[in-house]
Amino acid sequence: MGLSRASSKLVSLSFLFIGLLALSVAPLFLPRFFIYLTALVLLTGLLATSLNLALGFGGMYQFNHSVFYGLGAYGLSLMLIKTSLPPLLGYIVGPVISAIMALIMGIICVRLSKLYFGMLQLSLGSLVWVVIYRWYSFTGGDDGLHGVPIPQLFSSVTGSYYFTLVVTFFCMVILYFIVHSPFGRILQAIRDNPERSASVGIRVRLQQLIALVIAGFFAGVAGGLFVTVEGSAFPDLLSWTLSLELIIMCLLGGWFTFFGPMLGAAIIVCLRALVGGYTEFWTLALAIILMLLIYFLPEGALGFFERIWHGKASASGEVK
Amino acid sequence: MKRSLISIFALFISAVIVVWSVPVQAADEIKVGIIDTYSGPPSSYALDVLDGFKLAMNKINASGGVLGKKLAYVTRDDKFKVDLGLTSAKELIMRENVNLLVGTINSAVSLAVSDLAKKEKIPFIVTYGKSSNITGAKGHKFVFNMNENTEMIGKAAAIGLSKRPFVKYWIAGDDYEYGHAVADGVWNHLKKIKPDVQLMGQSWWKVGEPDFTPYITSILSAKPDAVIVATGGAGCIPFLKAAKNTGFNEKIPMFMHTATELSTLRPLGLDAPEGVIGTSNYYFYFPETDANKVFVEEFRKAYDRYPSFGSLIGWYTANFIAKAYEKAGKVDAEKFAEALTGLSIDTPIGPLTVGKFDNQLMLPMFMGVTKKVAGYDFLIASEIMTIPAQEIVTTEEEVKKAREQK
Amino acid sequence: MDWLSTLTAGGLVQQFIVGLSRSTILFIVSSGLSLVLGVLRIPNVAHGSLYMLGAFLCFSIASLFDNSSMGFWIGLALAPFCVAFVSLVAERTLFSRLYDREHLMLLLFTFALMLLCRDAVKIIWGSEYRSLAPPVALQGSFSVFGMLLPKYNLFLLGLGPFVAVGLWFLTQKTKIGKIARAAAVDRDMVGAVGINVSWVFAFVFVIGCFLAGLGGALVAPTQNINQGMDHTLIMEAFLIVIIGGLGNVWGALLGALIFGLTDSMGILVWPQFSIVFPYAVVVIVLIFRPTGLLKSTW
Repeated sequence: MGLSRASSKLVSLSFLFIGLLALSVAPLFLPRFFIYLTALVLLTGLLATSLNLALGFGGMYQFNHSVFYGLGAYGLSLMLIKTSLPPLLGYIVGPVISAIMALIMGIICVRLSKLYFGMLQLSLGSLVWVVIYRWYSFTGGDDGLHGVPIPQLFSSVTGSYYFTLVVTFFCMVILYFIVHSPFGRILQAIRDNPERSASVGIRVRLQQLIALVIAGFFAGVAGGLFVTVEGSAFPDLLSWTLSLELIIMCLLGGWFTFFGPMLGAAIIVCLRALVGGYTEFWTLALAIILMLLIYFLPEGALGFFERIWHGKASASGEVK
Repeated sequence: MKRSLISIFALFISAVIVVWSVPVQAADEIKVGIIDTYSGPPSSYALDVLDGFKLAMNKINASGGVLGKKLAYVTRDDKFKVDLGLTSAKELIMRENVNLLVGTINSAVSLAVSDLAKKEKIPFIVTYGKSSNITGAKGHKFVFNMNENTEMIGKAAAIGLSKRPFVKYWIAGDDYEYGHAVADGVWNHLKKIKPDVQLMGQSWWKVGEPDFTPYITSILSAKPDAVIVATGGAGCIPFLKAAKNTGFNEKIPMFMHTATELSTLRPLGLDAPEGVIGTSNYYFYFPETDANKVFVEEFRKAYDRYPSFGSLIGWYTANFIAKAYEKAGKVDAEKFAEALTGLSIDTPIGPLTVGKFDNQLMLPMFMGVTKKVAGYDFLIASEIMTIPAQEIVTTEEEVKKAREQK
Repeated sequence: MDWLSTLTAGGLVQQFIVGLSRSTILFIVSSGLSLVLGVLRIPNVAHGSLYMLGAFLCFSIASLFDNSSMGFWIGLALAPFCVAFVSLVAERTLFSRLYDREHLMLLLFTFALMLLCRDAVKIIWGSEYRSLAPPVALQGSFSVFGMLLPKYNLFLLGLGPFVAVGLWFLTQKTKIGKIARAAAVDRDMVGAVGINVSWVFAFVFVIGCFLAGLGGALVAPTQNINQGMDHTLIMEAFLIVIIGGLGNVWGALLGALIFGLTDSMGILVWPQFSIVFPYAVVVIVLIFRPTGLLKSTW
């Protein structure tokens, strides 16, 4: 067992290395549009992974994750537009704003469980959305902010791609270590059995709150990357339908796996960009994918492959 | 289990195939990329624009095309979403290699794509986005606006309303950029023309508000002389309907920018309230010129319905594109943009000119009052008053000021 | 502040009555949502879509009768049943297999259903705005002491108590209601006494969806019928259910009253910022009573 585990780790590491190599030389071969699309996939994947920290590993119904994404995007954009502070500072300020909001919303929501948590977060998120949507003089209201002055170095398609790749890579590494740290294990223990965790002395609420803040922070990073790639920030980024789409990405890729959300994001973003632009019936396609998934693949694509890979013959009913 | 896996796999493969199937690029084509909202409620406006565009395009191609090339178009659906609009615009520019972009009804998408057009140096012609920022504060060399903007609406309405005896006004509208921009535009200009007007109060409801009755009753209890209603596309129809149900239009006169437009009145049929004052840039029954009659006739023959303002926008956008390329002499983005600035063509509502300093099309405005007329199964505008383009377009100083302020 | 001078007793009463009639619709729809949530544990995001379906069906049935007053009444009577039938089919073929899954899966599944409904409506009815006139008897408004009371809103107001009493009777007095309430608390126990829980669930689900369809058919004459209807409503309905207490039908009534009245009074008091009032109330309620005002059923 130990040997096969080590070898499988080696295999995954080499896969990762090849993938990274391919991604870093991609701009030499791929047309510009696909470079842009890949950047979009990477940052959405980071966003979905950060959601999964709360949802898949923390077991919390984070229904309005996109609020933190949008706040990160607005934080960066507003700093670049309104102030003359060094632009790179904005990439810190945005996520910090998201993290603070995650803390505030977390303190209010975390004492509730499951569906109540999700619903309260949804209504608090709507309030944030209303403020952004209405505050014309500051946030640009429903028109949003366009033509954000991104630093010259990453304003081109290739530049923004490399920036996104590097930032996403480092964030993913950090998230990976968080998930596999003692803290990550405690979080999963709380998810599986909150009562038992509390009885062995874990401060359940505090641990969950920390997870929410971390998830919010990385969502803010993803928001900043979005602004870098698109040059715009707008209220749609905070909408609850986007949040549900993110949950679908986690589900599609597999939410008990680390890389699942990234895979889910890749599938959804590509389909959305390609099917969405061509046909009217993108929502129909999404609905059908989702239904098939819930019926046949509740542990997600990557979860399914991992199960095959490890030869675990457990039933799909274990998802709980 | 297996089957679902296969279906997911098949979807993925088909996506990959779409990705790699590089679009066929005909060398003798001028390709126009149209991004607009083709799903959801705004799609009826977008389809009117598209049909008008097709009508003109077919005619241009039938008579030899532009510079010996055929005019062609591809469409993308932005679903009224900024991110999808941006992705589509990038796809059209980077993958389809379109020569220019046309679209969209959503002001936010228009502004976002306009910024992209500036970066990519691709001309972008806005067809239905009404924000005055498009050609005002955020205007640049490559962006053009082919419909009226909120500033123009404000000026035209102020001129029209100042000729009526109202003094005490109430302002109500959709609580978003367009609503506030229209309301501010009307009010600021009205105050300038007629300083004794008073503002009694304001009501703002959220976009997509399902029920206007509470707002209407609260305005009624305040008893203003007239109400300025600043609702956008989605709000107009339900508001007019609520006005009719509550008898609002019979008690207090109201002005609503698009109230007399065909796109608003046709879906309401005979349920629309009478006596509502509205402005529009085009009626298929006015002006009664031969050019307009020919256009209406051709449009009806092709699509079996009356043309709306959107159809006219599509029609003259195609004609402007053709004329600008001919003037530029070759298919070149920079040359095209220079040629289109200040260009004039003849249209069913008379000659129209693109503004020299802001690329905003100078449109006249018609103010009318809704009325039931025998022969139509919807209401039409009566007592039409023309407000010439020169009186409502943004002046050079105003544009300069707006662009400096950002 | 200008509004103070325009604030009159008549205006207040008028606004109150209009707010109440709005609450009625919200109550009808959100009580259905609450019922399904309480008994079946399904957070039905597609509830708004069924409401939209109700409005579209009412429109179509009425237009079969040349939009006459009779047509509207027939539409109002039939549309909720059509919606109930659709929901019965959906419940039997789709939901009944998913009851043992966790809430998140069910929520996502109903989200998929909502997307499906939206495109189905687009395919069947197109994306143009639709409009339906109220029956002749309910057009216009009464003028009482200088107040303007729209007749249709009064009609809605009169209907509210009937629905509330009907629901009370159904859940408290009938056998199936009692079984459903028992199943909400402990579904295994109810199954153990030999009751077919699956059909009880189907019944409750259909009743909930019937209410959504009824709400949709009732609002059809007051607003434009379009594809965005579901989106605006579902959020409000969920907020109402949450502030009322999940699964508690009386909570839904209380929540709907709070929501509808803050909305309409807010418009009168501070029109520029009325958009914020209902949301702010929801947040205040939830900060002090995080599980809603009344006892939730789970």
